[in-house]
Amino acid sequence: MNIAVLIKHVPVSNDVTVDPVTHALVRASSEGMINPADLNAIEEALVLKEKTNGHVTVFTMGPPDAEKSLRDAMAMGCDDSCLITDRCIAGGDTIATAKVLAKSIRRYGDFDLIMGGALSSDGATGQVGAMVAEYMDIPHISEIHKLDYINGKVETIKKYQGRNFTIQAELPALVTVCFGANSPRLATLRTKRAAKSKPMEIYTNAELGMPVDEIGLAGSPTAVIDSFAPESKRRAKMITGSPEEAAKEIKALIDKEEGKE
Amino acid sequence: MASGICIFAEHYNNSLDSSVAELAAAAHEIRETTGEKIQALVVAEESGTLIEQLEELGFDEIYVSHTQSDCIFQDDAQSQIITDMLKRIDPSSVLIPATAAGRSIFPRVAAKLGCGLTADCTELKVDKREDGTYYIKQNKPSYGENVFVTIVTREGLYPQMMTVRPGVYKAFEGQGKKSTKVIECSDIIIPASMVQVIACEAASSEMDSILSAETVVVGGRGVEDEESLTLLKAFARAIGAAIGGTRPLADTGVIAFEHQIGQTGYTIRPKVCISLGVSGAIQHTEGIKDTKLYIAVNQDVDAPIFNYADYGYVGDARQVMEYFLKK
Repeated sequence: MNIAVLIKHVPVSNDVTVDPVTHALVRASSEGMINPADLNAIEEALVLKEKTNGHVTVFTMGPPDAEKSLRDAMAMGCDDSCLITDRCIAGGDTIATAKVLAKSIRRYGDFDLIMGGALSSDGATGQVGAMVAEYMDIPHISEIHKLDYINGKVETIKKYQGRNFTIQAELPALVTVCFGANSPRLATLRTKRAAKSKPMEIYTNAELGMPVDEIGLAGSPTAVIDSFAPESKRRAKMITGSPEEAAKEIKALIDKEEGKE
Repeated sequence: MASGICIFAEHYNNSLDSSVAELAAAAHEIRETTGEKIQALVVAEESGTLIEQLEELGFDEIYVSHTQSDCIFQDDAQSQIITDMLKRIDPSSVLIPATAAGRSIFPRVAAKLGCGLTADCTELKVDKREDGTYYIKQNKPSYGENVFVTIVTREGLYPQMMTVRPGVYKAFEGQGKKSTKVIECSDIIIPASMVQVIACEAASSEMDSILSAETVVVGGRGVEDEESLTLLKAFARAIGAAIGGTRPLADTGVIAFEHQIGQTGYTIRPKVCISLGVSGAIQHTEGIKDTKLYIAVNQDVDAPIFNYADYGYVGDARQVMEYFLKK
């Protein structure tokens, strides 16, 4: 089985503030890492690779230093990778991003299954996966907890409304995996070393040849026009006094809310 | 000219998702400025009871497409039906619940229509352009909740499409039952899907109880010893609450995996939630939405849970529970 995994290079910390004058984002750290849910997608892909004697290619679109995340993914066991990076694709919204990803995947090769994490820790839209599926004209199943390959189809478990649904899709298909669906394997010193010499293709728009008004900021139907800090950091009203008094106060609060006052 | 505020009427088991009434409230708010019609878009096998529920929410028009089966999770097919319906309705904005279904179907619709889709809005504000046309400023959180951004759909591009986080608008409570027009879109072709649901099983009954519980007690690292857990159970019984736990507790086997709350477990929506010894890592607080009353007890005054809860007490959770049970 030929599998593609889409990952995102995200900031290590969500510790971001807004400059009150320029409204620019100020990051506490410029360090990046693989988006947590994408690690779960990689793990599912590697399990399928072992089961089907398959091949896993990992893709990311981002600045040049996103290479680090691709190397980390290959250290986990992905076979090769593709870094999509170009100034003219930067700043795109989910639509513009998905278009470039779909085009890159198609250019790279034929895949039976495309995977990704269900949600990124920074933007957290959860939209890009389904959009890529639409641009590739293949079915998708989002936010799944388990995955298997049975009778030429992908079979997934999705939790919804307190129920577990078993859902199948014809291949090729795209699935997004929930954070925490499995325990991602760790790289070892040996696999980290090996990852350094695994293939990494670099795609810029010279390779992709997309019209510049369809990609990046210019190709985005939506635009961020402002950013601001939350009005006030939310803070609980503190109950004071002894544990006994606190117990009474808590009881009163519960009774009030439940209408037993 | 695109006109109308159209709401995706998400439903399950013949009843509307609770967020539809919230979006109706948001739409009425927008209408006060723009004067547009409020429309509902329904894709269902059976629409009778859904239409009754929608009529209570003050919709002007309800557009319905009937399917042969419930198309649950067949997002490839559903997105095509919805796209065709939206082309006919031609609304200026589409409001969608930011739920698992909304997040999965509408990215495809946005790609088909070539319009954008703003995710997980927490505030919608109407503004006017110089040429007199209205547009919606779509505010949403980013980087956890550390930053909020305002997103707009490019001028001249319709519909402006956005998912709205459940729980940020209060459900619409106006007079419904005015003259609602129901429009059947019977000529829209229902395409085949490459996705099939082959089984559906109820999660364990205990799990159901925590998902539907109105009151929930959550234990964290601070109550992982046996004595504290016994107290926690007695405390939960005393207030008629279901018990949930955080990931560390589930990992150590103290609480069943199914009772874990947070990104790796379930999302719960209780009215009242009391957390004991929970520090409040984002992975956990993500799993508790829309509480009316959240009380946190923790030893550490700097615990992030106090930035999340409505009420907090710094102290020993065990002592508090003991006194509570003595009363």
